[in-house]
Amino acid sequence: MNNNPIKEKVRTNTILYSKDPRDLSAIAKNIPCQNACPANTNIPGYIRCIYEKRYGRSYDLNRMYNVLPGVLGRICSRPCELMCRHGDSDLGEPVSICYLKRSAADLKSPMHRIKENLYESSGKKVAVIGAGPSGLAAARELSLLGHKVKIFEGNGKHGGMLMYGIPEFRLPRDILNIEVENILRLGIDIEYNAKVGDNITLDSILKKFDSVILTTGCSLPNQMRVEGEDLEGVYNGLEFMKMINDGEKPEIGDKVIIIGDGFTAMDCARAAARLGAKDVKVNMRKTEEFMPIDEKEKFEVKYEKVKFYSLVDTQRIIGENGKVKEIEFLRNRLIDSATASGGRAAEQIENSEFTLEAETVIIAIGQQPDPTSISSKIKTDGNWIKHKKDSFQTSVKKLFAAGDCLTGASNVISAIAAGRKCAHEVDNVLTGKARKDNVVRFEMINSTDRQRSFDFIEKIEIPSLKFQDRFKSRISEVETGYDGNIAYEEAKRCYLCNLKYEIDVSRCIYCSACIDVAPRDCIKMVEKIDLKKDPSGKLIETQDWNKVTGIVIDTSRCIRCGVCYEVCPMDCIYVTKTELIEYDLEG
Amino acid sequence: MSAKDHFIIIGNGPAGNNAAEVLRENDKKARISIISTESFSFYYRHRLKDFISGRIPAEDLVVKHYSEYKDKNIRLRLGQFVEKIDPEKKILYLKHMEKINYTKLIIATGGSPRILPSLTIFQDYLTMFSTYSDTVGLRHRIEKAKEIVVLGGDLTSFSFVKSLVKACKKVSFLLFNDAFWPISLTSEMILKIEENLKSHNVATFFNDSVEMIKKSKSKYTIETKQNNKIKSDIIISLMGMIPNIRFILGSSIDTDRGVLVDAYLRTNFKDIYAAGDCAQIYNPILKNYWVSIGWMNAEEQGKIAALNLLGDSKIIEPPKEEIFEYEGIKVNTSWWKKF
Repeated sequence: MNNNPIKEKVRTNTILYSKDPRDLSAIAKNIPCQNACPANTNIPGYIRCIYEKRYGRSYDLNRMYNVLPGVLGRICSRPCELMCRHGDSDLGEPVSICYLKRSAADLKSPMHRIKENLYESSGKKVAVIGAGPSGLAAARELSLLGHKVKIFEGNGKHGGMLMYGIPEFRLPRDILNIEVENILRLGIDIEYNAKVGDNITLDSILKKFDSVILTTGCSLPNQMRVEGEDLEGVYNGLEFMKMINDGEKPEIGDKVIIIGDGFTAMDCARAAARLGAKDVKVNMRKTEEFMPIDEKEKFEVKYEKVKFYSLVDTQRIIGENGKVKEIEFLRNRLIDSATASGGRAAEQIENSEFTLEAETVIIAIGQQPDPTSISSKIKTDGNWIKHKKDSFQTSVKKLFAAGDCLTGASNVISAIAAGRKCAHEVDNVLTGKARKDNVVRFEMINSTDRQRSFDFIEKIEIPSLKFQDRFKSRISEVETGYDGNIAYEEAKRCYLCNLKYEIDVSRCIYCSACIDVAPRDCIKMVEKIDLKKDPSGKLIETQDWNKVTGIVIDTSRCIRCGVCYEVCPMDCIYVTKTELIEYDLEG
Repeated sequence: MSAKDHFIIIGNGPAGNNAAEVLRENDKKARISIISTESFSFYYRHRLKDFISGRIPAEDLVVKHYSEYKDKNIRLRLGQFVEKIDPEKKILYLKHMEKINYTKLIIATGGSPRILPSLTIFQDYLTMFSTYSDTVGLRHRIEKAKEIVVLGGDLTSFSFVKSLVKACKKVSFLLFNDAFWPISLTSEMILKIEENLKSHNVATFFNDSVEMIKKSKSKYTIETKQNNKIKSDIIISLMGMIPNIRFILGSSIDTDRGVLVDAYLRTNFKDIYAAGDCAQIYNPILKNYWVSIGWMNAEEQGKIAALNLLGDSKIIEPPKEEIFEYEGIKVNTSWWKKF
């Protein structure tokens, strides 16, 4: 038998581990929320802990993969919720995964004991350039793995975009500071105002450290390249948010026009409303449907009386005495995109020009990395860092890059996931071996106490400040969070897709009692399972009892309600908890 | 066209009905179906306010009886909800799990009541109406009510208030002038409205807004920003209409405020058209997109969509600018024709 316990399925009591690609593929399909999360956070696991009122454990489960749960519970872009099975067209609304993540952070004990699994010191030194989410995640992981880490941060504070890009009414700074402090307490050094490429060189860092990770994010704002962009009263979104987050109160007047439709544009619009602007318009080239933000954020922006102006294209910014006065737009129509990726594109309508008055214009149309400002040695393709395929290794020896500076502007959870993965790659290089790997853990369980009635609980929106209370202070947090009772109710809604219900065909008497009580077409009479096309098997159904070779639960349709388990007269339905876990290869 | 054609119209309002009529006149063989979420046949929506206040019976609402559809071999499916459109496969998914294939489709779903984002937290306390079924229960509640508050954010709210006064109700009116639909009110207009409502003994609350709504037993109390407390048995919110397109979202059919169509009323999918209050069209005169309002516009668009579906190439002409008078208010508009 192989010494490595995870190379094959090995039974240890009722727990099995597997790294068979078919099991990994099946778990990706069966737990869609976890698969959609760039960090592969164990979502059903931490929601179950909230249901059990084990908030500290829930927080810890999150923190294994996402080092800033309290922060992400407030500002995550929630790719998981888009894939939540509860959001299927006939099943209602997705579970509020993000709010539940926040509730674990809010409701855990204030003196919660954080447990970290520390490896012995390796004697290696790693520098991380940039204390944004990617850099912090990389620094923490490397520190756990036994390396001495130092962060070089160009600004006076840590957090990167979290500190300077996101407004306090969405992310209170005490939450951010506590979670960053919990990372730095691992013995990570941090040097502030260390602007690499300006007051410190990349070469000098490379000489002193065994490896260096670049996590400088995207700091170069995209330009509109239209007339009037340099007028007084025209800001780029990042610059505007940095001013706001530094406590400045720019004079913006009553009429503010935002150009752009992403999260930064929304933050600028809401910040402008808090500065007293009476008429804030968000202008976009396509329509609301194409905005890269979720419906909740759209609602919040509209609730604060910001107006959306769709299908418009900026032509020029018109000034008077050097100051912005109005913007000229053209109307757009939607057409088929000429790009390879397809989709819809915006096309200007001829002779459709019109103007809107503005005292301030904020251009928030994204930003790019600026690697050449760090060092001219870094090979680039335009503004993009050249790197080895499927690797974080740049063209410079010992220099790695991760997060937005490598991929372009993405989202915080992707940056955290990338920082962590990059840390593992650096660790492999420094130690010459892989120390962690993903495996599937199977655990036989008797049943759950999940009830069918839980499926009919309606999604609970997060309690928020009333309109008038939002503007009393520029930093009052808008979303006030779930209390324990609400979190419990919302946690009940999770189907627990990490549970796999299966029928033991050898004991099944084909009574079809399970089919009779099934809430949807999740239990099927099957003629055969086609294993050739799909590693997890494709069910070939039949309605002819003479051809039925088995009754099978279709895990992609199963909502884990447990009613089949309850009615089975032969107890031939069994439940397995399946989890994707990170396995320590050194035991 | 052949007997294999199945033309489906979603919506049983003026646009949908006119489209069905034109289709049948020009194509005797094709299957024509109208699918409507409502359980009541084609009716005059603008008369609902008079029906609610008890001024007219239900019979006076009806435009067309069920038998008239049968006579023209048009299948009318009432009380059925289209949940999803698959424009690639040309299939409609209905809420009761039925799938229907179509060869060509006209979306004419009209509008549904708008609720202001700032009022959504009080949504459970607000009564809105836009369909016959909304009004059936409301009519009985209004009969019993003594005090009624109207949150007014559209032109019809003025005439509705007057209907309530005629029915001997004590009416309070809060004007939402900064969110008024579908026009922006000038200060002169606001003065005239206030004068007009006061002359009908309506308690008016202008330049004020809803701060809190509380419910105690069956009575509501509205607390306003100006520290007014208004008691009411029913709170009716009339904030205009928004295109009824929620079921289309995610189908790949282009939408903005409404279903985006070109001057031929074509959507971005071949064989799918939109007409009436749910369609959004670029108007080269206004240099802006517009969603049409009013019965006559809807009928005209229904006709053009049907003709183009049958192979014609008719363009919808933007209505001429005209002065429209409603409840004593003159509105300069090019897209509103009378009800």
